[in-house]
Amino acid sequence: MIDALANIFTTPIGPAAFAGVAWGILGGALPGISPSITMALLLPFTYGMEPTIAVVLLASTYVGAEYGGSIPAILIRTPGTNAAAATVIDGYAMKEQGKAGEALGISLYSGFVGGLFGLAVLVLLTRPLSRVALAFTPTSYFALGVLGLSVIASVSGDSLIKGLMAGLLGLMIATVGTDPVTGLNRFTFGSPELLSGIPPILVMVGLFAIGELLAQSGEGGSQKAAAPSTRIRFPNLALWRRIARPQLIGSVMGTLEGIMPGGGGTVSAFLAYNEARRWSHHQEEFGKGSPEGIAAPEAANNTVACTALVPMLSLGIPSSNSSAILLSGFLMHGLIPGPMLFVRSPEVINGLYAGLLTANIAMVIVGYLIMTPCLWLVNRPKPYLMAFIYAFVVSGVYSIEASLFHVGLALGFGALGYAMRYFRVPLLPLVLGVVLGFMVESNYRRALALSSGDHLTFLSDPISAGLLGIALVVVIGSVLRHIGERKRRGPLEPGADVTA
Amino acid sequence: MQRDLAFGTAALALSIGYYWMARLIPESQLADSIGPQGLPTTYAILLGALALILIVRSLTVTVRQKLDTAVGIKADTETSRARRATGTLIIGILYIVVVPWLGYLLSLAGLIFATTRYQGGAVNRQAAIVAVSGAVFCWVLFVLLMRIAQPPGLWPSLL
Repeated sequence: MIDALANIFTTPIGPAAFAGVAWGILGGALPGISPSITMALLLPFTYGMEPTIAVVLLASTYVGAEYGGSIPAILIRTPGTNAAAATVIDGYAMKEQGKAGEALGISLYSGFVGGLFGLAVLVLLTRPLSRVALAFTPTSYFALGVLGLSVIASVSGDSLIKGLMAGLLGLMIATVGTDPVTGLNRFTFGSPELLSGIPPILVMVGLFAIGELLAQSGEGGSQKAAAPSTRIRFPNLALWRRIARPQLIGSVMGTLEGIMPGGGGTVSAFLAYNEARRWSHHQEEFGKGSPEGIAAPEAANNTVACTALVPMLSLGIPSSNSSAILLSGFLMHGLIPGPMLFVRSPEVINGLYAGLLTANIAMVIVGYLIMTPCLWLVNRPKPYLMAFIYAFVVSGVYSIEASLFHVGLALGFGALGYAMRYFRVPLLPLVLGVVLGFMVESNYRRALALSSGDHLTFLSDPISAGLLGIALVVVIGSVLRHIGERKRRGPLEPGADVTA
Repeated sequence: MQRDLAFGTAALALSIGYYWMARLIPESQLADSIGPQGLPTTYAILLGALALILIVRSLTVTVRQKLDTAVGIKADTETSRARRATGTLIIGILYIVVVPWLGYLLSLAGLIFATTRYQGGAVNRQAAIVAVSGAVFCWVLFVLLMRIAQPPGLWPSLL
């Protein structure tokens, strides 16, 4: 580790980490531009670089992008990345209360804590933890997906039925495209653009950003956006103590999900949000602007930015699209991830660790510097702000695959988001269904194919049985809480917002 | 509760349509025991069942609760809001229609200007400057900086 730290001062790792983080925050903050796209855009430029610098630049971009996604999630109710979807719930609620600066400060600080936690895990446990990833079979992945879906019960607002219906809608959207086992086209209506399915980020941008634009345009009236705060504010001592527990929960969730190929930041962020609410002394504040509701998912997705490198470095298995791009960066420079990488190229591993440490520090500095202009921007007169968001969103959506068809789809999902707001149907269960649908279906069918159709395989695999058991506990706990809350409050009041 | 009834009915119709389309997915020699239709049909049945529960529940509650006059006033407001939201959506659709011809810069400036105006902004020099500078900013960010091509329009073929 001392060798790693020395690299910060003796090589251009520091500037590379700063540049990567700045680029990553920019990409992550743009709706439609995922961390993997941000990294992929940078990949060709790293070709001529020294391997360690190239790897640090790409890994720092990943760190910056995971944080950057929270900025539009808090300010304009649009998750910049899939993993920032859980941050929307309380982040935007705080912004609506004029606490955008506080929300951004909590997000930045929690991302920093999560990033450092993930880095510690990466440095200390890469080799031992990689064995867990190897133990994962399709049965376990299916159970992992079910665990993610179990969160639907707790993010359904006041109506569990509507939440379940929204989750099913999400699962239905996830079936569009090529069947994972037979390769048959399903629900593509002859459109080649739908063959690879509907990208989850497109659904989120439509539901959250365009749906919110449509809802806001219906309001009319106010010429000023409601966000008096124009400076980022870091948590004070009392808040610092309050968010310590959700940050720890988020970091643990991020570690567990990061080391599992396919887990990823989105699932960990939702699980962290759910667990933070379960263990909170202020459960009633969740969904209405709870600082803990921002701290947990942000710590989780920034932990994943480091822990996702565990299976990639030790086994050469990319656990997400972003780590696949990083793997490409390694291979492009003749570095083959796996146990021998630690023996043959220790300078690259040390440089990467040093770079990630610098990247997490750089995230705070760059994040702080760009936040004031961001806050100034969202305080502009409402017509200009809405027009600019619209322009940003259509440009970002087009960037995913250079497709106007996608822009049209995003507008369609915007209309769906508006309709769901009107009918008071929660949006987050739909997002979970879209994100996890493919994972659940493909692994369910693969597991059954491997076990000759025996459903008991899900209980005979210890990891799967454990995950399904946790999912059952989560569902029962959430349903009991729903029943308790309804008894306390009575029926849903007209106009109550359950769309999160 | 009328909203629940409307949502339940729409979801029921969707589940029937989706189920019908799922049944039309052809059989495959490579199919596993579940098949490509397996989970989609299950989702459709579950959605239909939940939609029926929601419909029955909302009908039961509606019978118990007499609608007051405020509902009528609220419905007018909702219609007006939906109309305004539709207008904003149409601006986006128009952007998709014109951008292959006019190109990214011009179309985006048009989208910003139209949205600003539609949201109650004044038609003046400031609005025009914001529209043009907003479009240029996005062009610099996406096309120049991030090297993501945006629709060029017919301009390259004319030059």
